[in-house]
Amino acid sequence: MRDWENMNSHQPATSALLEFDSPTRKYAKPAIYAALIALFALLPAVLSSVYMLHILILIFIYVIATVSLRAITISGQFPLAHAAFMGIGAYLSGMASKWLGWSPWLTMPCAALVTSGIGMLLGFPFARLRALYYAMGTLFFGIGVLQIIYALGRLTGGYSGLVGIKPLFFGSKLPYYYLFLGLTIGSIIALYRFEFSRIGTNLKAISQSHLVAASVGINEAWYRILSVGVGCFFVGLAGAGYAHYNVVLSTSSFNFMATLWLVMYVLIGGIGHFAGPIIGTFILILIPEYFRDLKMYSPFISAAILGIVVYLMPEGLVGLPKIIRSWFTQHLKDKRAVHAS
Amino acid sequence: MEQVAATITNVLILSSIYILLALGFAFLFNMLGILNLAHGSIYMVGGYIGLALIRGLGFNPWVALLLTTLIFGAFGVFLEKFCFRPFVGDFNRTVMICVVIIIILQTAVNIIAGTQVYSLPPFVEGVFRMGPVSVSYERIVTFSIGAVLLGVIIWFVNMTKWGHQMQAISQDIEAAALQGINVNRISALACAMGSGLAAIAGCLIGAYLNLGPFMGDFMLVKILIVVILAGVGSISGIFFTGFALGALDAVLPMLLKGAVSEAIAFLTVVFILLIRPQGLFGHEA
Amino acid sequence: MLLEIDGLTRNFGGLVAVHRFDMRIDEGEIVGLIGPNGAGKTTIFNLITGVLRANKGNIKFAGKDITGRKPHEIAKLGIARTFQLNPLFGDFTVLENVSASFHLRPRSSLMDIYFNTATYRRNEASIMKQSLDILKLVGLDTMKDELSKNLAHGHQKMLGIGRALAVQPKLLLLDEPLGGMNPDEIDFTITAIKKTQQQGVTILLVEHNMRIMDFCERVIVINFGEKIAEGLPDEVRENKEVIRAYLGGEKVA
Repeated sequence: MRDWENMNSHQPATSALLEFDSPTRKYAKPAIYAALIALFALLPAVLSSVYMLHILILIFIYVIATVSLRAITISGQFPLAHAAFMGIGAYLSGMASKWLGWSPWLTMPCAALVTSGIGMLLGFPFARLRALYYAMGTLFFGIGVLQIIYALGRLTGGYSGLVGIKPLFFGSKLPYYYLFLGLTIGSIIALYRFEFSRIGTNLKAISQSHLVAASVGINEAWYRILSVGVGCFFVGLAGAGYAHYNVVLSTSSFNFMATLWLVMYVLIGGIGHFAGPIIGTFILILIPEYFRDLKMYSPFISAAILGIVVYLMPEGLVGLPKIIRSWFTQHLKDKRAVHAS
Repeated sequence: MEQVAATITNVLILSSIYILLALGFAFLFNMLGILNLAHGSIYMVGGYIGLALIRGLGFNPWVALLLTTLIFGAFGVFLEKFCFRPFVGDFNRTVMICVVIIIILQTAVNIIAGTQVYSLPPFVEGVFRMGPVSVSYERIVTFSIGAVLLGVIIWFVNMTKWGHQMQAISQDIEAAALQGINVNRISALACAMGSGLAAIAGCLIGAYLNLGPFMGDFMLVKILIVVILAGVGSISGIFFTGFALGALDAVLPMLLKGAVSEAIAFLTVVFILLIRPQGLFGHEA
Repeated sequence: MLLEIDGLTRNFGGLVAVHRFDMRIDEGEIVGLIGPNGAGKTTIFNLITGVLRANKGNIKFAGKDITGRKPHEIAKLGIARTFQLNPLFGDFTVLENVSASFHLRPRSSLMDIYFNTATYRRNEASIMKQSLDILKLVGLDTMKDELSKNLAHGHQKMLGIGRALAVQPKLLLLDEPLGGMNPDEIDFTITAIKKTQQQGVTILLVEHNMRIMDFCERVIVINFGEKIAEGLPDEVRENKEVIRAYLGGEKVA
C-alpha cells in the first residue's frame, strides 16, 4: 500500500542557518540586491507603455503571493487553496471599502490579518492531515470558499463579481507601481528572514522527518499553523492590494486553476530555493506577455516553457545557471581532451 | 410523477458518469500513485472529438463513439509512457506535467470551438411512455451504456488476468514486478482504459446535456471528491461515493439555491476528510 | 527513581504488543532491554516517548506522570531517543542536523529569533559550539558539512545519537544503536555511550548485539510483550526462560 502520509511534496531543504560566506560573497550579495532595487525604481522612466507598467504591477502582486506560498510549503504542507485565500483578502478588503466606506489603507492590513486568522483557524484541524490528504482537504476548502462567495451574492456581487471598490490612488498607475514595489520588497525581506531563521529551520526539519522533529521538542502542529498564518497574511495582503488596484473582482481570478498557476510559478521557479517563486513568477508572466500577439495561441508558449522545465530542469529555473555552467565546463573539458590527444 | 422520473434518471446518469470517470482516475492513482489532474480535460476533449467526428466528418453517432474511444485509448497509452511514467513518485513533477496537459487541451478547445456551447446529437430519438411516466430514449440509452461499461469494468477487474494484475500492482508494485507482471504494459492498459472511459463519458454528457469549455475543470473536482471520499485504494468504495455524490448533485439544487448547496456539499466533504482522512472505505493509513 | 513504568499495556487490534510491563530505572544507570524480534521493545520506546498511546498503565518520569503526553512535550521534559530505522534530516548537513536539534535548550523566543536579537545570536553561538562538541564525541566532526543522507550507515547511526544528545536529556533511549555496524564502529559507539553516561545521562538501550551485556548494569528481558527476566547480565545469561525464548533450549554464548 502506498504510503500517502509520507509522500510529501519533497523539496531539498538546506538549513542555511549557517551562512558561512566568504567576505567577497558577503558584500557582493547586498550590492546585487541594491542594484536590482535601483533598476526597478528607475524602470518606469524607460518603459514605453502604461501596459508594461500594469504587467509589472501584477507581477509584484503575484510575487508576494508565491513567496508566501513557499513559506507554507517549506513545512512540507502543500496547500491547494492559496488563490482562494488571495480571494478572501481581496473580497474582504474590497467589501469593507465598498460597504463600510473605510479607506483602503485601513482595509488592506485588516484584510491581511483576517485572512491570516482564517488560515490559522483552518490550520488547527488540518495540522493533523498529512501530505496528500492535506492537499485534497485544502483543495476542497478552496473551492468551497468560492461557493460561499457566490452564495453571499448580495454582499459579494456573486457571479458577476464585485464592483465599486475604492482605489488606492486616482489617476496614473505610477504610484501603484511604487507602492507594490515597496510592498514586494518588504514582503520578500520579511519572508526571507522567516525562512532563514531558526523558525524556517524548524519547518524544514518537520518537512524532512516529523518523527525526529517531535523527538527534539519541535511542536509540529504549532509550527505548521504558524507557517500557514504567515503565508496567509501575505497572500491576503496581495489579494487586498489587487482589489484596490483592479477596482473590480471576479471569482475566476481565485479559482482552482488560479491556485494551480501559483503552484506552477513556485514549482517551475524551483522549489528548493527561496528565489524560486520570484523567478518563476517573473518568467511565467513576462514571457507569455511577450508573445501576446499570438492571442489564443499564447498559452502554448507557457505550456512549452513548463514542458521544458519539467523534462529538462529537475531543479527548476533556479538550476539554470548551474546547467549552463556545467555545460560550459563539459564543453571546455572536451576541447582540452581534443587538444591533448 | 414526471418530476420524479426525471430526477431518478438524472441521479442514475450522473452517478454512472461520476463512477466511470472516478474509476478511470483511480486506476492510475492506485497503481502508480499518479494524480491525473488532466483527467477532466480528457473527458472534455473526448466529448469535443466525438462532436467533431459526428458533425464535422459525418460519422454515425455510434461509430463516432467507438472511434473516440479508440483514439483516446491510444492517447492514454501515449500519456502513460511519456508523461506519467517518467515522473512516478515525484508528486511535484506529476502536478506540473498534468497542468501542461490541461493547458494544451484547454487551449486547443478554445481555439477550435471557442466559448460557444455545442451539443452532440442524441444517439437515439424518441420518447418512452408508460402511463404517466415519459422518459426520453436518449436518457435510457445513456444510462444503459454507463451501466454496461461499469459491468464490463467490474468483470474485467475481478475476472480477467489483466484485472488481477492491476489489483496486484495497486497493492504492492514491487512485489507485482517481482512476480513477473509487466508493470509498464499493465499501466499503459490502465491509462488507456481510463482515458477511453473518460472520452465516452464526455460524449454521453455531450449528448445528454451539452459541451462547454469549463466542463473539464468542473468534472475534475467531482472526480477528486468521489475518489478521495471513497478512500485511497478502494475501487468498490467509488461505486458508493459516486452514487452518493450523483444523488446529491441531482437532488440538492432542487431544494436549495445553487451556490448554497454547492458550498454545503464542499464543506461537508472537508469535514469528512478531517474526521476520516483515509476515506470511508480506505485502508487504515 | 527517574523512570517508573507500571502495568503498561498496548494492543493492536487483537495483537497484544505489550502486556502489563513494569520497569524502574534509577538516575545514572545504564539499563539494557533485550528480547527476540517482535518482542515489543520498540513499542515500549514509542509508548514512553508518546508516539503511541498506552491502552493501560502509566509512566512516570522524575515523579511526573507522562502517560499520553505528546512526543515534543516529553522531549521538553528531558527524554531523548534514537529510532531503529534512523530517520534523519536528510537534506541538512551533519552539523545542521545537530544544531537544528538544539531546539529546546537554549530556547530563544519567537521574537528573538525573528528579529535576530543579541540574545538569539548569543544562543546560536552557544549552540554552534555545543554542536561541534557533540560531533567530536560521536566522531563526525571531520564530516560536519556533508549532507547527512550521503553518509555511510554507521555514521548515520552515530549522527542519530548525536542528534538525540542535542536535546540534553536526563534519560536517553537508544533503539538498536549498534545495528548494522562493523566491529570498529561498535567499539567506538560503546565508548561514546559510556562517556555519555559519565556526563550524567541515564541510558536505556534496546539491542540485539550481546556486547551490551558487558557494560549494562542491569538487563531486562521481554518476550511477546511481557517481562520474563530482570537482573545482572550474568544472571540473565543463565536464566532458563531467557535461553528458551531466544534459542528454544540451547545455552546462550
